[in-house]
Amino acid sequence: MAASFQVDVVSPEATVWSGEAELVTARTTEGDIGIMADHEPTMAALATGSAEIHTGSDKITVAVHGGFLQIYRNQVTLLSDRAEIVEGDADAARQQAEALRDAEEAAQEDQSE
Amino acid sequence: MASAELRLIRRRIRSVESTMKITSAMELIAASRIVRAQARVEAAQPYTDKLVEVISNVGAASGGASHPLLDIRERRVAGVLVVTSDRGLAGGYNSNVIRLAERRLIELRNQRTDTRLYCVGRKSNSYFRYRGYQIERSFLGVTDTPGYGDARAIANTILNEYAEEAVDSVDAFTTRYVSALTQTATEWPLLPIQPPAREQSADEIATGYTYEPNPESILNRLLPRYLEASVFGMLLEASASEHAARRRAMKAATEAAEELTKILSREANQARQAEITTEISEIVGGAEALTAG
Repeated sequence: MAASFQVDVVSPEATVWSGEAELVTARTTEGDIGIMADHEPTMAALATGSAEIHTGSDKITVAVHGGFLQIYRNQVTLLSDRAEIVEGDADAARQQAEALRDAEEAAQEDQSE
Repeated sequence: MASAELRLIRRRIRSVESTMKITSAMELIAASRIVRAQARVEAAQPYTDKLVEVISNVGAASGGASHPLLDIRERRVAGVLVVTSDRGLAGGYNSNVIRLAERRLIELRNQRTDTRLYCVGRKSNSYFRYRGYQIERSFLGVTDTPGYGDARAIANTILNEYAEEAVDSVDAFTTRYVSALTQTATEWPLLPIQPPAREQSADEIATGYTYEPNPESILNRLLPRYLEASVFGMLLEASASEHAARRRAMKAATEAAEELTKILSREANQARQAEITTEISEIVGGAEALTAG
């Protein structure tokens, strides 16, 4: 069994998910990143897409739109403007993330008018 | 008939009682909303905490990063953001904040500093408009249950003004939710951003970060988020304070109404008794007259 580490997915309105995981994949502005235990300290900007959290027994898919990823002392924090847990696979999550982005763009257009 | 006075008093009792029904209902509603508003304040806390942690890490790692949003520049135009509610009946909640803000506006005018005023909530909007202040931008309908989108709209507005150098600083006047019993109107500096104090010691952060893409662009993205999160936290606290203030005001009103009905029903009893006494003495007087005749 792979070593596990602490993962928190936090959005401004609530803590979306928090727990132990063995593997996390996420999409940053530079490309996809895979994180396992004892990753070097990293700070990355998140893009719109899906993040997957693999615990030993389960896989959680989160739709993420923007935000940051911090890896520090075996603690992974996903700080996202908008994050939602999605039932289903990565494609569903990606679609959900794009829907979040579209909703936000629509809201911003409303304001500028 | 002498019952005119009695009728008037009974009518007042009815009117006070129906007002009391309204105030006690409002008290109950406000009480239930405080709980929800408080839960939202707590739910937003982890995000802000993490963001502060990230910012202090990036700041330390990039060696005292400089950024336009962090620079203190000479203040020629001061931005003032006033956070009040849309509805009244909340005791001194709105007037406390407005008083604080107006005092500052006058102070700034005496120092010959120009000001730009932004209002959140209908109450501050109408107060300042009535007194001839120019309001650059007002945000209505957000204070009851503020969403992150509302915070973002406000943060974006002041960020744009700051970037265009229309203002050189922005301070918010708002109510902080200290506890269920105390809420205080305070001044909350927003821009330039004062970087959060570092909690870790320097050697702890010395472990170099790998940045994707690079520290500058991360900081560029982080600072506006931080402002948004601050504004969001501020709105949530203001909303919790509003409900707490309203609950207190309505509780006082209900108690006052109870007291008033007590006094009024005593008066009504007295009036009724006086009426009966008159009636009896009239009857007795009439009977006396008959026997005498």
